[in-house]
Amino acid sequence: MTQTFIVEVIIENKPAARDPEGETIHKDLILKGGYENVKSVRTGKYLKFLVEAEDEKHAEKIVFDLCNALRIYNPVVHTHKILVKGG
Amino acid sequence: MKVAVIQFPGSNCDLDVVHVLRNILNIPTDLVWHKFFQNKIYDAAILPGGFSYGDYLRSGAIASHSPAMEEVKKMAEDGKPVLGICNGFQILIEAGLLPGALLPNDCLKFVCKWVILKCETSRTAFTCLIPEGKILYMPVAHKEGRYFNLEEDLKSIWKEQQVVFRYVDENGNPTLEANPNGSIQNIASVCNKEGNVVGLMPHPERASEKILSPYKNSDGLLLFESMINYLKR
Amino acid sequence: MVKNKPIPVKVNLTPKEIRMVRKLLGREPTYVEWGMFDIMWSEHCSYKSSKPILKKLPTSSPKVLVGPGYDSGIVDVGDGMAVAFKVESHNHPSAIEPYNGAATGIGGIVRDILATGARPILLIDPLRFGKLETGRTKWLFRYVVKGIGDYGNCIGVPTVAGEVEFDESFETNCLVNVACYGLVRKDKIFLARFDKPGDILVLIGGATGRDGIHGVTFASKTISEESEEDRPAVQIGDPFTKKLLIEAVLEVLETGYVDGVKDLGGGGLTCTTSEMAAKGGTGVEIILDNLHVREEGMNPYELMLSESQERMLLAVNPEGLSKVLGVLEKYEIPYSIIGKVTDSGKLIVKFKDEIVASIPPKYLAEAPTIKRKAKKPLNLEKLWRIKKPKEPKNFSEILYKLVSTPNIACKEWVYQQYDHEVGVRTILKPGDSDAAVLRIIETGKAIAVKADCNSRHSYLDPFNGGAGALAEASRNVVCVGAEPLAYTDCCNFGNPEKPEVFWQFKRGVEGLAYMSRKLRIPCVGGNVSFYNEDSESKIAVKPSLVVVILGLIENLDGLVTAAHDCSKGGLAIALALMAIKGKLGVKVDLSKIPTSKPIRMDELLFSESHSRIILTTSTKENAKQILKIANKKGAPANLVGKVTDDDNFTLTFDGRKIVECSVTQMERFWKETIPKALEVR
Repeated sequence: MTQTFIVEVIIENKPAARDPEGETIHKDLILKGGYENVKSVRTGKYLKFLVEAEDEKHAEKIVFDLCNALRIYNPVVHTHKILVKGG
Repeated sequence: MKVAVIQFPGSNCDLDVVHVLRNILNIPTDLVWHKFFQNKIYDAAILPGGFSYGDYLRSGAIASHSPAMEEVKKMAEDGKPVLGICNGFQILIEAGLLPGALLPNDCLKFVCKWVILKCETSRTAFTCLIPEGKILYMPVAHKEGRYFNLEEDLKSIWKEQQVVFRYVDENGNPTLEANPNGSIQNIASVCNKEGNVVGLMPHPERASEKILSPYKNSDGLLLFESMINYLKR
Repeated sequence: MVKNKPIPVKVNLTPKEIRMVRKLLGREPTYVEWGMFDIMWSEHCSYKSSKPILKKLPTSSPKVLVGPGYDSGIVDVGDGMAVAFKVESHNHPSAIEPYNGAATGIGGIVRDILATGARPILLIDPLRFGKLETGRTKWLFRYVVKGIGDYGNCIGVPTVAGEVEFDESFETNCLVNVACYGLVRKDKIFLARFDKPGDILVLIGGATGRDGIHGVTFASKTISEESEEDRPAVQIGDPFTKKLLIEAVLEVLETGYVDGVKDLGGGGLTCTTSEMAAKGGTGVEIILDNLHVREEGMNPYELMLSESQERMLLAVNPEGLSKVLGVLEKYEIPYSIIGKVTDSGKLIVKFKDEIVASIPPKYLAEAPTIKRKAKKPLNLEKLWRIKKPKEPKNFSEILYKLVSTPNIACKEWVYQQYDHEVGVRTILKPGDSDAAVLRIIETGKAIAVKADCNSRHSYLDPFNGGAGALAEASRNVVCVGAEPLAYTDCCNFGNPEKPEVFWQFKRGVEGLAYMSRKLRIPCVGGNVSFYNEDSESKIAVKPSLVVVILGLIENLDGLVTAAHDCSKGGLAIALALMAIKGKLGVKVDLSKIPTSKPIRMDELLFSESHSRIILTTSTKENAKQILKIANKKGAPANLVGKVTDDDNFTLTFDGRKIVECSVTQMERFWKETIPKALEVR
């Protein structure tokens, strides 16, 4: 029996890679706006999939495979996180 | 008469606008770094195109917090002409000086090409010399230029004559093919209620000399000439 | 000095080079010094294989102000103005991360131009990919174009010309070449050298991190312990910082207190300091503890070799230091004062109160050259003897097919993503003509620019391929009314250690040198990218010697209304493109085409023979005059047909109809190929 799952994918630059967008938002918007307790900002891409699958593991696998097959991210510079929610 | 071209970090059409104002129209023009801009010294201000703060977050979003924008607001309140071109338009919208929003182009790509515009109102500081219905040729070059507004607000900006230019075909019709970015109702330019603050996505400074135009005209110059005319009135 | 360590295992120097390093220094180098020699004597920094061959290119003319040897060639364009231009390849990074690889390629070339004191005014991008049908090509093509667009558009430098070629040999190794041109007043040109001992060295721009460090595995424990997951193989482009850097550098140079400026590229701080001191005959002392860094705990090896983006080094007169720093603060550009120019004749590097390197800079900057073997590939003769196919029947159909092949098809999909108008200089825009034309607002003149290469020609005949690239590039600028002044070249080849590859390179450069002498157009710089081969199949890319040219237009009017050179697809395609762009018909009698001997119809239509141009003019009198001029100059010429005010593209031979196509139909095929392949609908 299949259920519907929400699978979220967050793509970021690798931790040692720069993120000029995050750096600029941090320096020119947040720090200049007086929020000095914010120590850094990283940007990324967020995708939300609605997936029919047998279970959470299966849902995650479908999305994991398609992310690799369709180059949803480039492993050379990006990391990705997959979160499965609800059923 | 003195005009300020405000330079934000990442502005890149600032020198082009200065070139047109100084060399073509002989208007005293200052290029002013955003932190140093003071409204009282100037009769008009132009926010040029470019990628202020790298267009990060949203185009114009970070620049709209610049101290320069408080000064620009005062100018707008004083009825002085303020023009935002491309990124300048995005900044004016983000700062709340103009209605609506500018979203990523529907093709999701940067688009650089010449478009055809129709003037919808001659009541603004930058179109007072342009007859309503006149066709103008100018280039666009942007990634986030899809004008959007909610239905009621659209009705209101039409009612208040705040739509300044629309993308049209050679016959003046706002067709799908004439629309380079998916703007709602082909809107390319809007103004505030008073008509002294205008923002547009196309670049009039790139269409102000015949030698640059594939159509061999200088339609863009009309906007700056209108400004001079408005200031002389 | 720090204690010696055994030679780092990852040093790529040959045993002979290792002996030379020891002999030059007269002692065992420190590990930092090994790293510095390793990078400076690498192929990438030293051109050790290519230098002996590149010497064959003529490099001077009265118009050349700065030729090869400095970062950019600089050419006099009259009225006190000069144009600096340079081309570079960014093939390897782009092949694994097309977006950031292409973007940082632009970043690098723009810094080179900026270092001459010039304002960058245009970019050109010659690109080569595999077959357009493959998923990999589509991915690379899409993101390379996006990377170039996002970076170039943001920094406000228009991308006005380029090339896109598709061929299966570029499937794994795409070629991403980028050229930048800048405009500078002749009396404000900066040469990359440290001349004045006592000047203070200010490193400006991006913070230094562990990016692109050569031989990383041995040098940095931290890195080898870090998993591949954390560290990107390609750097991230930062066009916003670059834009601020451009404005800040041009403004600090205006203060008059900067005596030397150079970008940090390959080889990082090592390359920049050693080359500038070697050229100026001075010394340098730097204190690495002062660098502004992005990562904690970096060791001196990493600091000297880091290739972090968006950095430049200034040599500042101490009297004007506060003024220079004031400009940097206005633009919020991070900086650090890292040392000074000395008269010691040595590059001395200190870290934590210890000297970690002490080397006469010219030892680093003048790497020993290598004589490589060259051997003609065995299969070449065979390729030359391939039998001609049977002559086809339906030429109209073939013409429709040809206009829709990716190599000939319209590249609007590409150049619409580039801002080609910013700067209000672009008079002839991408797609308009054979070359782009930008006015020099300051003088009322204009420059014409173009990049050319036909890798298939080069593959079959490297000598004529190299010669042809320059011939075509100069024809293209001539077609817009410009006089070719100088060129720079970008050599993209396989592994030079293979004699067959090195032969291609050698013959290509020899052909280029031949044409260069014949046309009297000097070479003012260049770039060599080797090792463009598939890591598994070991098959190299088709040899691609790209010529990037500069022409000058003194006067913008002329007799001719349109001119187009015959290149890919030959005469028929040249005529077809003129008809498409002019939205007009064409009627040509092919029997009037000058030929050296009777040839087959398919050859007459599609031969890619060089040195042919089609001109159109508005009156018979003008046409007669053109023929008279051609006759006087000994150039074969004939009146071959006319432009018609309809949709018919008609080619006849002695009254017999050979081709009958509709111009609008051809235009449709020509325009739809690339978007159809790339757009998801």
